[in-house]
Amino acid sequence: MTDKREKILGEDTVLFEHIYKTGKGFYITVSILGGLVLLGLYAYITQYQEGLTVTGLSRQIFWGVYITNFVFFIGISHAGTFISAVLRVLKAEWRRPISRASELTTVFILMFGVGSVLIDLGRPDRMLYAIRYAHFRSPLLWDICSITTYLTVSSICLYLALIPDIALLRDLGEKREWFYRILSLGWTGTESQHRRLDKAITFMSILVIPVMITVHTVVSFVFAMTIQPLWHSAIFGPYFVVGAIFSGVASVIVVMAILRKAYHLENYIKPIHFNNIGIFLMAMTLLWFYFTFAEYITIVYGNEPIHMDIFWSKISGKFAPLFWLHFVLCFIIPLPILAIKKYRTIRGTVIASISIILGMWLERFVIIVPTLTRQRLPVEQAIYIPTWVEWSIFIGCISLFMLLYVLFTKIFPIVPVWEIREGREKAVSQVGERIRSYLPDDKG
Amino acid sequence: MYDGKKIIPGLLIFLGLVTYPFWHNGVSGKTGYVPKPKLPVDKKECVEPKDYIRVNHKDLLDDWKSSAIRKGRRTYVASNQKRYTMSLTRTCMQCHTDRAEFCDQCHKYAGVENKCWDCHMFPKEIKKE
Amino acid sequence: MELKRRGFLTIAGLTLLGLTAKPGWDIFSKVELPEPSPTPERLAKKKWGMAVDLKKCWSLEKCKDCIDACHRIHNVPDLGTLKEEIKWIWPVPFEKVFPEHELEYSGEDYHQKPVMVFCNQCDDPPCVKYCPTRATWKRKDGIVMMDFHRCIGCRYCMAGCPYGSRSFNWRDPRPFIKKVHLEFPTRTKGVVEKCNFCEERLNRNLLPACVEACKEKALSFGDLKDPGSDVRRALYHRTIYQRLPELGTKPKVYYIL
Repeated sequence: MTDKREKILGEDTVLFEHIYKTGKGFYITVSILGGLVLLGLYAYITQYQEGLTVTGLSRQIFWGVYITNFVFFIGISHAGTFISAVLRVLKAEWRRPISRASELTTVFILMFGVGSVLIDLGRPDRMLYAIRYAHFRSPLLWDICSITTYLTVSSICLYLALIPDIALLRDLGEKREWFYRILSLGWTGTESQHRRLDKAITFMSILVIPVMITVHTVVSFVFAMTIQPLWHSAIFGPYFVVGAIFSGVASVIVVMAILRKAYHLENYIKPIHFNNIGIFLMAMTLLWFYFTFAEYITIVYGNEPIHMDIFWSKISGKFAPLFWLHFVLCFIIPLPILAIKKYRTIRGTVIASISIILGMWLERFVIIVPTLTRQRLPVEQAIYIPTWVEWSIFIGCISLFMLLYVLFTKIFPIVPVWEIREGREKAVSQVGERIRSYLPDDKG
Repeated sequence: MYDGKKIIPGLLIFLGLVTYPFWHNGVSGKTGYVPKPKLPVDKKECVEPKDYIRVNHKDLLDDWKSSAIRKGRRTYVASNQKRYTMSLTRTCMQCHTDRAEFCDQCHKYAGVENKCWDCHMFPKEIKKE
Repeated sequence: MELKRRGFLTIAGLTLLGLTAKPGWDIFSKVELPEPSPTPERLAKKKWGMAVDLKKCWSLEKCKDCIDACHRIHNVPDLGTLKEEIKWIWPVPFEKVFPEHELEYSGEDYHQKPVMVFCNQCDDPPCVKYCPTRATWKRKDGIVMMDFHRCIGCRYCMAGCPYGSRSFNWRDPRPFIKKVHLEFPTRTKGVVEKCNFCEERLNRNLLPACVEACKEKALSFGDLKDPGSDVRRALYHRTIYQRLPELGTKPKVYYIL
């Protein structure tokens, strides 16, 4: 059996190891995550029965952790598209080993973005009314359209790039052969099949990029379309898109580091990948700072009392600790780490990324909550302290995301084997040719 | 038969479980149960004939709901040209005053849940409080 | 073989697509028309409005007849906490309702006096734009309605309303209603509610409960299109305030000083 594996997989056997070898670590991880998912489920059942009273939300601050999660999770989902589609279109060859990991992040986390809104509903039993009685003037409907399109398109992208690897698994003929046979759609790896697949993936990659941009733009529109102070801002669209790619790419770095360690992929996901993606993340850090600065400086110069009240509550008022913490996490910590080559190592980029992920969650929080404390009518005693239910559901969502991720790697390889092979067999010479085409033509 | 020792008892257990509701009711003598909604004594007719109401009361109430609230039309012209106010509380419940004796009779029997009572209250329910 | 199979798959696929067309059409054709269908002409001719005479209102201190009347007939629960409070009409200090009217040097003493606020029944209501299900919409006579049957509890309308007029049912309100008024439904947990200008009373030619309850006659109600109506007479030649008129929502509740 090992011989057959060697024969089919060649030097990439290690990429399939996580499918066939189940160690103690797997069971421990799954049971811990499963437990946390159950905790989240219990919390949701409590909320379903009692109503949203079990949360810390109130008449004044009626949106909190759930809506923050909605924006945050959907933000993270921008990573996959960015890394697999944008880098594919740009022909960045180093994307190959990490494209599937990032696409998978997109598809799975997107479900929790949608889920967070549904969890936030007062009457979840009526959620389909949003489709039955759809009112297209409401930005929420724009979200529904955009996010479902994005989920569909990115799922198709993920699946298309899986087909050749599924066929490999089918040819191995070990576990679940019938399952792989169905999913592989009769892939035999002929030249014409490769050409068609390539065409399809390129088409989907180009399609998914504008969809991705609309997704976070309309998410930001949920806030920007209201006339509430500090939400009603024209730069919210691009600001949120930048923040989304920022947090998404950071999450992919963390995912890459975990996969590399857990599945011994040191030879595939190399320091150069972390370095390259780290440089991009640095650029996003600066871009994020630019937008944040532009947003707040406009408010300050406008000096409208209603806006300034909320501005000051963030700068020096009751949200100051959170505001400055988010600024430190999103900018002060990651920038030097990512900017100095010496620190742009695997460990360095991971530390910067974790900081960015935490910071971006807080960013969403300090955008959403302070505005609600004092809308145009000042309210006293508007405090919001999330309860155990909200935290448990949050933890449950993240655990379920990880659990799905872990289970996926038990069925499919997480590094696209065929893309690696393609890189090895074809791309090396293609890149050489491409570079030659940039150079002045030989005379003669 | 291949694996017959497992398949046949398995099938039997499955059939047993599937048909459980039937023989359970047969044994407990509930097969002949007919719900008996209690009709108001002093009133002779509903807004529409009994047979129509029995089948279509859900749609009728749905229509009333959207007509009264969403369109602002609150007058119902019945098939016999009589006029009624479209209101669950102010029309229907004026005669059918008890939920347990009327609505629940069939709704419980048929296992059909409705959410009307989350908001609309019966006069009888209030007296109990 | 290859061709045959492909042909078969194409036909099968098209057939399946065809089969879904009918139910699909049914589903979408059943959807109600976008706007609630034409209201009776009687409604379209009117435009309800309210005037609050602040000096009259302040003449009786600590009076809250209007609040009691409204909350009683609409089954508004008293939850006893600020967190989950539900209110249709409530007092707010003058300086907070009208922050743009600075009173620093005027020598007046009313900046702490209570001003009754409710849903402004805006002529251009922001909340209506945001509702994803049309559970809230503006009727022909200008009343911004709430359909409790349809509200999914997303609270986007609350985010849209600049006046904080909307309350959310964080829990089942029924245990917190002292005495249920039968003619008006209670609400379930998870829906949004607000003042409805006593739409259910107007329908029976009754004045809104708060207007009726006010002993000082500080509240006037009527058709803004009719020069002879109570509200128009109350507003005639007076200094009128509206809440945040600069937002372009065109409130139909006027304050007289």
